[in-house]
Amino acid sequence: MTNTRSLLETLSSLAGPSGFEAEVVRTAVELLKPLTDEAYVDVFGNAVGILRCGKPDAKRILFSAHLDEIGFIVTGAEEGFLRFAPIGSIDPRMLPGRELTIMTDPPTFGIITCLPPHVLSAEEMDRSFPMEDLRIDPGLSKEDVSKTIPVGTPAVYRAGFFSMGKDAVCGKAMDDRACFVAALLALEKLKGKAQEQDIVVLGSTREEIDHGGATVGTFSLDPDLCVAIDVTHAETPDGGPKHTDCVLGAGPAVAFGPNHTPWVRDRLFSLARQKEIPTQRIVMEGKSYTDGWEMQISREGIPTCVVSLPTRYMHTPMETISVQDIESLADLLAAFMEAPGWEGDCR
Amino acid sequence: MKELLRELCQVPGISGFEEEIRACIAEKIRPHVQDMKVDAVGNLIAWKAGRRKAKNELLITAHMDEVGFIVKRVDDKGYIRFAPIGGIDRRTVIGKKVLVGKARIPGAIGLRAYHLVSAKEEKIVPDMADLYIDIGATGKEDAQKLVQIGDEIVFDSDWVEFGNHRIKAKALDDRIGCAAMIRLIQSELPVDCTFVFSAQEEVGARGAFGAAFAIRPHIALVLEGTTAADLPELKEHRQVTRVGAGPVLGLMDRQTLYDRELFERLRALAEKHGIPWQTKRTIAGGTDASAIQTTASGVRVASISVPVRYIHTPSSTASLNDCEQLYVLAERFIETIANEKEDL
Repeated sequence: MTNTRSLLETLSSLAGPSGFEAEVVRTAVELLKPLTDEAYVDVFGNAVGILRCGKPDAKRILFSAHLDEIGFIVTGAEEGFLRFAPIGSIDPRMLPGRELTIMTDPPTFGIITCLPPHVLSAEEMDRSFPMEDLRIDPGLSKEDVSKTIPVGTPAVYRAGFFSMGKDAVCGKAMDDRACFVAALLALEKLKGKAQEQDIVVLGSTREEIDHGGATVGTFSLDPDLCVAIDVTHAETPDGGPKHTDCVLGAGPAVAFGPNHTPWVRDRLFSLARQKEIPTQRIVMEGKSYTDGWEMQISREGIPTCVVSLPTRYMHTPMETISVQDIESLADLLAAFMEAPGWEGDCR
Repeated sequence: MKELLRELCQVPGISGFEEEIRACIAEKIRPHVQDMKVDAVGNLIAWKAGRRKAKNELLITAHMDEVGFIVKRVDDKGYIRFAPIGGIDRRTVIGKKVLVGKARIPGAIGLRAYHLVSAKEEKIVPDMADLYIDIGATGKEDAQKLVQIGDEIVFDSDWVEFGNHRIKAKALDDRIGCAAMIRLIQSELPVDCTFVFSAQEEVGARGAFGAAFAIRPHIALVLEGTTAADLPELKEHRQVTRVGAGPVLGLMDRQTLYDRELFERLRALAEKHGIPWQTKRTIAGGTDASAIQTTASGVRVASISVPVRYIHTPSSTASLNDCEQLYVLAERFIETIANEKEDL
């Protein structure tokens, strides 16, 4: 039995911002290999694992969890400092004094600058630093900085993975490696069992930018049914009912809204009831901001549902998730992989 | 210096909660001093005999406390509400890892996800009182099993060597001074010296008052970490001090006018020994010298500081060269005290 925490630690500690996922994808393919019949990196850079049922004309279900994470890219040098732009959406308030891993070979350590209070007015002290005023400090001279860290070099949060309380873990890139871990755990549960359909797990890329990996991956894999597995906002003291109704530790969340084909969603809930897997109902009234948004309109349109893992502080270096929720999510995915029930069977 | 500094920075010791760092320092200096004691405020005071008795008694001091937080409340959902101890810019603590209480329970200072933040909100930094620490508790009772009101909270930050002789750690202000003093104590000194590892500097030089009053030195040398603001967006004159440009000699800060003769002495020493030096370009900050200078009938004060970028954050950085030069200059300064023939 795979240890969920250590698997998540391994995957989330790798650096892989959108467009620079190669190392994460390689690791993901290695992890998929023993659990599938075929695992490879596709032309776009996605990780793909296919578990075949061996039946002629078998239907195919595609599960997507993205392997990219938010990050930064160096856009220039100024004195001994680096200018940068965000990859994905990042709150500028998360950045002053932030430690980064700059993806040179070997990696370089850097800190995002912040002016000390001594040189700021009282008014300035109450405002956040706009992102364009921040730099990365790699502790280098003007002469060395561009040679060591050229323009175009990506970077990610330098964040340790740690346990918080009995069940929570905290770190970077839980979005969405925690969901990829759930998919691996689900595949593991299917091992040695006869299947009625082919199961494909896509470790997608560029989700944080435009869901590009899932867009092309879904086209080439041509599935009959899609499930996007991604994180969703769990409640925090400053993000309560006005912002989300989902809580940490109460199980995976299944969403209602236009991105979620009703019969697929109903099937997920009925499996959860049968197997006594805790789940939460959430609403995504419009865009789901997941791979599912693109998967649903791939080719002639594909039945799709989004299953979500509750996460606090998304897109920060301290994304917090519940290990129990990952395991419940894996249970739900495994149940669905085994018995998706096709449209005609579901009422 | 490096290994010693690394070890000192890892030890917690926020103002008023200096037990652990004090014990760590005491253990290192015990075999090398004639006497030492802990006073009522928590200062660690040590006496070391040198080759001769000083004409003008010298006190050397560095503060061992660091900035941090204290638990104010455990809220209904099990999050920790807190207040700062010492001057902390709240913008630098969001999303940082901390350790709560003596059991060092790991937690993170939260902020709701960016997706849920309006364009207006992202320009505003929440008040310290609205920030919270998530320790992964399932509720108030669960949290109260681990955390009590009044518990200390320290930054969790590892030691990193990077770039051009740079180091990153918490509490470089002022474990740099502490490390230099420990090295001085472990070496043979030309003259008797009193050393104070002071408590509560970060909340207003509280430890230095009593220590200086008890010792009544003629001269005090303060070894410190000081603000560096050498960032490209600031014009040179506003950069306070520059990392890697040598130790900072105390001329004037917000609280102290340093002794002019001692400043000149430090400057002459630095130039004689080829040690780069600088002064603060803006009059900012303060040190234990403010308390020491006006003790009893008055004390002549001097300071040598190392520039620290991102001071009072978990990721403070400094140059190892600056640290080494601070030590060498302090050593040379002690020699001049040993060679003094008359009362100042």
